[in-house]
Amino acid sequence: MKFRNLLPALGLLPALWGGAAVAAGAPSEIKIGTLYASSGPFAAISMPVYDGEKLWAKQMNAQGGVYVAAYHKKIPVKLIAYDDQSSTATAATLYNQLISQDHVDLLMADSGSVLTSVAVPIAKEHKMFLFDVSGTGGTFFTKDNPYIGLMAIPVSTIWPSAISNFLDDVGVKNGIKTAAILYATNDFTGTQAHSLAGFLKKAGKIKIVYDQGVPTSTSNYTVLINNIAAHKPDAVIELGFPNNEIAFLRNLQDSGDTFRFLFTVYGGTEMDLLLKNVGAAGLAGSYSYVPSALYSYKVNYGPTLAQYRAMWDKEYPKGSGVEWGSNAVYGYQACLVMQRALATAKGMSQMDIHNAVFALSGKLKTLDGTFELNSEGAQIGEMTPMGQLVRKGKHGIGIVAVYPPEFAKAKAVFGK
Amino acid sequence: MRKHPADLILPALVLAAFAVAPFLYSNELMLFNFIAFLALAQGLNIVYGFTGYLPFGYVGFYGAGAYGFALAVMHLHAPPLAAMAAGAGAALLLAVILLPLLRLSGAYFAIASLAAAQAVYEVVSNPALQHITKGPYGVSLSAVFAPRFSYYVALAILGVAFALVVWLRNSRFGLALQAIREDPVSAGMAGVSVVRGRTVAWLLSALVAGLVGAVFAWHISVFYPDTAFDLGVSIFSVVFVLFGGATTLTGPLLGVLILYGVYNAIGITVPQYFQFIYGALIVGLVLFLPNGLVSLLTARGLRVP
Repeated sequence: MKFRNLLPALGLLPALWGGAAVAAGAPSEIKIGTLYASSGPFAAISMPVYDGEKLWAKQMNAQGGVYVAAYHKKIPVKLIAYDDQSSTATAATLYNQLISQDHVDLLMADSGSVLTSVAVPIAKEHKMFLFDVSGTGGTFFTKDNPYIGLMAIPVSTIWPSAISNFLDDVGVKNGIKTAAILYATNDFTGTQAHSLAGFLKKAGKIKIVYDQGVPTSTSNYTVLINNIAAHKPDAVIELGFPNNEIAFLRNLQDSGDTFRFLFTVYGGTEMDLLLKNVGAAGLAGSYSYVPSALYSYKVNYGPTLAQYRAMWDKEYPKGSGVEWGSNAVYGYQACLVMQRALATAKGMSQMDIHNAVFALSGKLKTLDGTFELNSEGAQIGEMTPMGQLVRKGKHGIGIVAVYPPEFAKAKAVFGK
Repeated sequence: MRKHPADLILPALVLAAFAVAPFLYSNELMLFNFIAFLALAQGLNIVYGFTGYLPFGYVGFYGAGAYGFALAVMHLHAPPLAAMAAGAGAALLLAVILLPLLRLSGAYFAIASLAAAQAVYEVVSNPALQHITKGPYGVSLSAVFAPRFSYYVALAILGVAFALVVWLRNSRFGLALQAIREDPVSAGMAGVSVVRGRTVAWLLSALVAGLVGAVFAWHISVFYPDTAFDLGVSIFSVVFVLFGGATTLTGPLLGVLILYGVYNAIGITVPQYFQFIYGALIVGLVLFLPNGLVSLLTARGLRVP
């Protein structure tokens, strides 16, 4: 063979060498660090998120790993997770542990604003992009911090616009004139309550006759319900964590008080959990957000809701103690964004990951809706339509979207 | 003042070890927590070891220090070191307000101090004070976030706590406090000012906790009232001191290094076993070593630093 004939092959050598170098430089696994709370006040919202993440990691590894564009190959994922026990002090140490000792490639926060809050400055300090699953605190997202993106739910200020728009529009037409707001004083529900009060006051169609915050640890609402009833509101909006709302709804049933419009956050978003603890009678007729766990969005990436639910039920069959709910979707959704970002990122630096995640904004449509970030990393897609809980059979419960019109599947029915 | 070189060598070794530790072990926050608990244990040692008062609500001073720091940064835009002074001032102010508690003793004092800490927590976390303390929504001090610098400030505070304990162990005032602890009536009869002695020890102890709380706020920069007034801070501090042995430098030091070491080794990976192991350790300690680990040596007549 003449040397001239070897030239094309020689021309390929650098590419082959480069490819070999990339393959040699590829890690044996992609380490994803996260925290979960197996106990404490945040366990109810944390464990389903973690279960969703574990399910995704298992699926990826069954397929040979996650595709990493920077290495042009699939690489197995390793989920490194620690139990923060709902303590921010423990969580802070563990986030540090994940970054500084475990040297994770990707960092994912625990569920909710409180346990995410300590991760934000730590991730920024270490220049580590934080996959914020559901920490919606408004202060997390600032112009000077490119190391955060909210994956699965909109920021708290956006959520209650559905409630206020519904009440100002449909509610007023049905005679709703006054409202009471009762909320747990934490970042998630406190921010929603303040935003809701602001929206209602601005529209001026509904008068707020009661606006009270209570500690998130509140477990008895009897006196509070009596106080609310004394103000005779047409609408009652209760914003709390699952434990708050279970206690509230039980106490409300016991009191015998009824209101024409009753809203809870988790009546829809963690319906199975509330149904088990409150019963269908306590939930029927009330309103809630329609979560992605109960609304089928058109997807252009990942499984549909029905497909994911089937996977979930196979992995966590009834009786396993694992509850299906919106948090089950949030954990998986964060992993889907991560998966897509790895498949498109030009490198594995944290700014490459940041750029890849932000490049998905407005384009990625998953079972959680349209993924869309503002310039500071706050989620502004993934809407939260209003729904009404309706009986399904004797002991079952379901939710139907009633507002806004483009999501509505039925007309809202108000109490007498 | 009597001179015992070991009382100076031991703290110097600990301070030197923690000064170089961040260059050898990169989870700086874990090292910081060790320093914070070492200082808190020594601060508690001042009031419990030397006067016999065991404040279950010790976390109240820690929380007051954290919020004193935060308020100075948020509302006065104070530089961190000046805000540290505000944190210490807040803890001292709380200690002065709570001085009447010293009229109680034993379990009554312990529970009353706990109630006082809880009362401060309720005030700080009250949503009606959101415009001042941020209420239950927590504080974010990202503008002054400086983990490495605040780490060494914490180390300096640990040095201060060590110095106070060394002084008390080797001074007439420290001896007077121990006399008060053993029998306040006899001490008073011998010319020791019981009220003054207890007050000074109480204020010094609060000062240390306030400084630690302030530097915690600086180091972590984002925290909630539940974090700053977490009863776990009190429980850990008390257990560390009791486990190692009060009135010494070594006792609280051993308590923190062993028990907080166990906590980080086991409590993080398998918290359910940690609680069992912790419980078993404490039961064993109460049954067999009520005066702490150092009593193994002091019972043989040895002087432990």
